[in-house]
Amino acid sequence: MPSKETDQENSKESSSKMEIDSCTLKAVSSSPSEKIHLRPMTLSDIDDFMVWATDINVTRFCTWEPYTSREAGIAYINSFVLPHPWLRAICLDDDRAIGSISVTPVDSIRGEIGYVIGSKYWGKGIATEAVRLVAAEIFKEMPEMERLEALVDVDNIGSQKVLEKVGFVREGVMRKFMYLKGNVRDMVMFSFLPSDSLL
Amino acid sequence: MEMDLNETQPTVVVSSPPGRISLRPMTLSDVDDYMVWATDAEVARFCSWEPCTSREEAIKYITDSVLTHPWLRAICLEDDRPIGYILIMPVDKIRKEIGYVLARKYWGKGFATEAVRLVTAEVFKEMPEVERLEALVDVDNVGSQRVLEKVGFTREGVMRKFIVMKGSLRDMVMFSFLPTDPFK
Repeated sequence: MPSKETDQENSKESSSKMEIDSCTLKAVSSSPSEKIHLRPMTLSDIDDFMVWATDINVTRFCTWEPYTSREAGIAYINSFVLPHPWLRAICLDDDRAIGSISVTPVDSIRGEIGYVIGSKYWGKGIATEAVRLVAAEIFKEMPEMERLEALVDVDNIGSQKVLEKVGFVREGVMRKFMYLKGNVRDMVMFSFLPSDSLL
Repeated sequence: MEMDLNETQPTVVVSSPPGRISLRPMTLSDVDDYMVWATDAEVARFCSWEPCTSREEAIKYITDSVLTHPWLRAICLEDDRPIGYILIMPVDKIRKEIGYVLARKYWGKGFATEAVRLVTAEVFKEMPEVERLEALVDVDNVGSQRVLEKVGFTREGVMRKFIVMKGSLRDMVMFSFLPTDPFK
């Protein structure tokens, strides 16, 4: 498997505040069938956001219900996306967002990764590539972070495979760990450490 | 549902066979027994706190942290003197975490196991909203892992570099017990 090249267009200051407006992570890879890059998400992404956010297949394992109005989508981008410490749109060559990926601090040493992709783009290795890009870069951008973790519904096999393909360690099933849409779910805990190797 | 020690008078819970251990709220008059385990570096080894160094410090800690705790019980032998304590902490609406400490002289006799068994049964009765009782144990704290396994907790896995304990990053073993699980 060829090694991944990442290209950053602008050099960064020590960016613990995560204000990397012009940071773009690119992947040149034969692995996904389409090349992707990550960039900050903005209000102008609203229509592309609505494509995945209204899709009940996409939201099945998300804590939120599908969006039903553009206004609600705009409110979400304003209140959640723009202030988020680390959230990126996943984009194809035309720079249009087909999903998003984020790392949210859990505490001073742990961050939780989450991602969502429009269903039209499933099965092409795109989420795997996005997670790989983040796992490769995030510890440089958040040096205080010692552990990147992910919690995946036991039934969400697709997302578990993404993490396994990147090299996350499957630590175990946490039983009755959290509520998802009114049901208490078993969740699989994964982690990736700065010392771990990307697959 | 928080256990307010002022409003609910928790009854003394006695283990079976009777006479082994009982659980009751702790009081300031327990300070000297408290100091037996709280000053012991071996006991403190896997705890977030450093060993206690004075009776004044002990009184302050009992007043500020023990008496105010939403759910904490002294583990007592037949003479009603505490040999340790056990506590329940809320994690969120459906998850609680159990923790316990025992004076070293009483290790290896099954007292912690009995206390955990008693408390686990009581928690699900008193707190019906709890879906999951969990425990996080340092990978090196084999004794405490055995306690939970003997009660019937499920060892779910090792969470790598999960917490900072006394300045070091530690791997922690996650255990859980559900209302539907059988006691061993």
